[in-house]
Amino acid sequence: MPERPQQSYFGKIFLIAWREFRHTALTKGFIFGAVAMPVLMFGVIGLMPALLSKEVPALVGTIVVVDPSGTIVPRAKAILEKPPTAKEAMEEFAKNPPADTGSQINAASEMAGLGAQKIEVTWRVEKAPDAVDGIKSELKDGRILAGASIGGELLDPSKDAKAFELYIPSSLSPKHVKQITRALRQAVADERVARSGVDKELLSRLNNPPDPTTTRVSPKGTEAQENTELRFIVPGAFMFLLWICVFTSANYLLTTTIEEKSNKVMEVLLAAASPMQLLAGKILGYSMVSAVMLVMYGGLGLAGLSAVAMMDLVPPMHIAYLVIFFVMAYFMVSSMMAAVGSAVSDLREAQSLVGPVMMLLIVPLMLWMPIIQNPNGTLATVAGFVPPAIPFVMILRLTAATEPIPLWQTALSIVWGFACAFGMLWLAARIFRVGVLMQGKPPTPRELIKWAFVK
Amino acid sequence: MSFGTSSASSSVPAAPSRARPSGNAAVRIDNVMKRFGSVQAVKGISLEIPERSLCGFLGPNGAGKSTTIRMIMSIISPDSGSVEVLGSSALAMKDRIGYLPEERGLYRKMKVGEFVGYMAKLKGVHPTGLARRIDDWLERLALPGVSKRRCEELSKGQQQRIQLLASIIHAPDLLILDEPFSGLDPINGRLVTDLIRSEQARGATIIFSTHQMHTAEALCDKVVLINKGDKVLDATLAELRAKHDDRGLVCEPRTDARTFADAAVARGIATAARTNDGGTVDLDLAPGTDADAAMRAALEIAPMRSMALRRMNLDDVFVELVGKSDGEQKKGARIDA
Repeated sequence: MPERPQQSYFGKIFLIAWREFRHTALTKGFIFGAVAMPVLMFGVIGLMPALLSKEVPALVGTIVVVDPSGTIVPRAKAILEKPPTAKEAMEEFAKNPPADTGSQINAASEMAGLGAQKIEVTWRVEKAPDAVDGIKSELKDGRILAGASIGGELLDPSKDAKAFELYIPSSLSPKHVKQITRALRQAVADERVARSGVDKELLSRLNNPPDPTTTRVSPKGTEAQENTELRFIVPGAFMFLLWICVFTSANYLLTTTIEEKSNKVMEVLLAAASPMQLLAGKILGYSMVSAVMLVMYGGLGLAGLSAVAMMDLVPPMHIAYLVIFFVMAYFMVSSMMAAVGSAVSDLREAQSLVGPVMMLLIVPLMLWMPIIQNPNGTLATVAGFVPPAIPFVMILRLTAATEPIPLWQTALSIVWGFACAFGMLWLAARIFRVGVLMQGKPPTPRELIKWAFVK
Repeated sequence: MSFGTSSASSSVPAAPSRARPSGNAAVRIDNVMKRFGSVQAVKGISLEIPERSLCGFLGPNGAGKSTTIRMIMSIISPDSGSVEVLGSSALAMKDRIGYLPEERGLYRKMKVGEFVGYMAKLKGVHPTGLARRIDDWLERLALPGVSKRRCEELSKGQQQRIQLLASIIHAPDLLILDEPFSGLDPINGRLVTDLIRSEQARGATIIFSTHQMHTAEALCDKVVLINKGDKVLDATLAELRAKHDDRGLVCEPRTDARTFADAAVARGIATAARTNDGGTVDLDLAPGTDADAAMRAALEIAPMRSMALRRMNLDDVFVELVGKSDGEQKKGARIDA
């Protein structure tokens, strides 16, 4: 037979990888699902308060206040017409977190400074204490918005401030009640301060407890600035980035493998490439898909941090760790998905085998908080050596720790993690080799293990 | 449509006159066995398929044909025994083998040209000129202009032709087709028959499995009959004819068929005679009878519309051998029991 050109071993792997990448990442579905959808989601989240602010009902009507002093109404009027600043809204939110969804949405729009609302309130002062009966009658007839009775004793700074009477119709919305209450409470408090002769600004300054600038000093003497919020956000962002990128592409690997089996194209491919070449090509192809997502989402995050001059939150070493643990996580998760995909004939069958895999992958998400709170604790240290949680736990530990993780632990987790990843890859290849040609009843996990050791 | 000629400008390899088997083995199987769980799918088959021959794998459903073919393709490994393909292992020779599996498959969303090109590149075909080569082949397969269409947009028959094209686009030295005629209408069946002939004429060794005995009879140099994992027949068509051509004549007399049949037996031309529907008569000749002399003698009895030597029928051979093999296995089973 004459010699003829043949495709090299790695040439086939690269060809398969490129096809998988091209038909996954360079499709409208991927661009929409993996790129446009997150952008859309963030856009919707960003626009939500603005959209919701349009829904805030206008506050229109007359408020009658029994105010013998005549000093409360002018103050309350000024307070009501000036909406709270974002900072004030945030402080109020922290002090009295709203329980119901409606109030949470209102608070969110106030904090975003988007609480534009039409307020056209006419205030009427009643000097006679017995005007309350008239107020109730007017409320009953729907002629006024609300009524209040503020006794003279309430304004005396030498006495305890007791409750004032507020009368509202049953139809008044909780937001309007809250607005009117806030205006009256603040007006009474301001009047009491004014009558006591104390400077309001001075009082505010005196009552404002200072925040500490915390510096963490490790046993080795290294110091790091403490930032409680970011201690939670940054490691979580790293882990979720890793989890989403790895899981999305591994899921693609699972579904395309199942599709190739159900389309019967698998045998055609096996006539051109060995199962190992096929598996290697698929894993390589989807690693590129995963890398594209990592670069895209990670790049967006970094660009955002750079725009607000907060790049110091992500030192280069963290990015290096992210890349190392991304590779490890991808090999672990894609091995499991490839093995499952090769063993079943449709997605429904895959569910029973994917269940245990998903349980393993959800564990790092559940351990997020305990690990962040104590990255050098026993739980975090042990979890950092348990596959397939290793990359997710380690990225949490390394980015959360304000004191360094012992170097030997980091090095050992990398070596041990990659050893586990290649072990899983080997097992997946053995299962894949048998599974791709199997049809009919899906195997049990025990049968899968048996396949791995078939000659 | 003819596959025997090709325009000079075509990038599709021109088909020379029908090549003859070279004598070297393209496939050599030695005592291969394969078991799936409790089922012994292949029970120690040995065979050789000469280079440039056209070999038919025959056998009833579940006989072990596809398993044997998959072992030749090294898609599955035999439990024991050895398989040699083109002088080496099939794994090393994948790029020189074309394969059409029994269960057809293609990427539904992929464009036709892209799919065939992908398979060709996996088999080592250089990308230069590949698109032109695919277009030429599509034209020859009566599928002009489908290159840019998605595979899922084609009819079932068109998809089958695309799959066949994907198996031959790299001009393989060995072409293995598992049930290539299944589900094809007569026109597409003829197209595939011509294509198989054309590939053999190019110099490829071809193995195909089929249930269609008349197709195997018309195409094959050699047939291998497999039943219940055993090889029950391995012979060239010439050998089969020599063995199974029963010495007989099929005559269509212009006179009364019954009278002619009686006269033929009475004159000692035939040992037995049977009349058939349609006015033909089967004459069984005695061993050692000269067929030409018998024909002349028959013509003396009555003028003929037609007269021919009775030839072997692969259908009958199949039924006879499979029935015999089943009977022996049942007998063996009873003895074992």
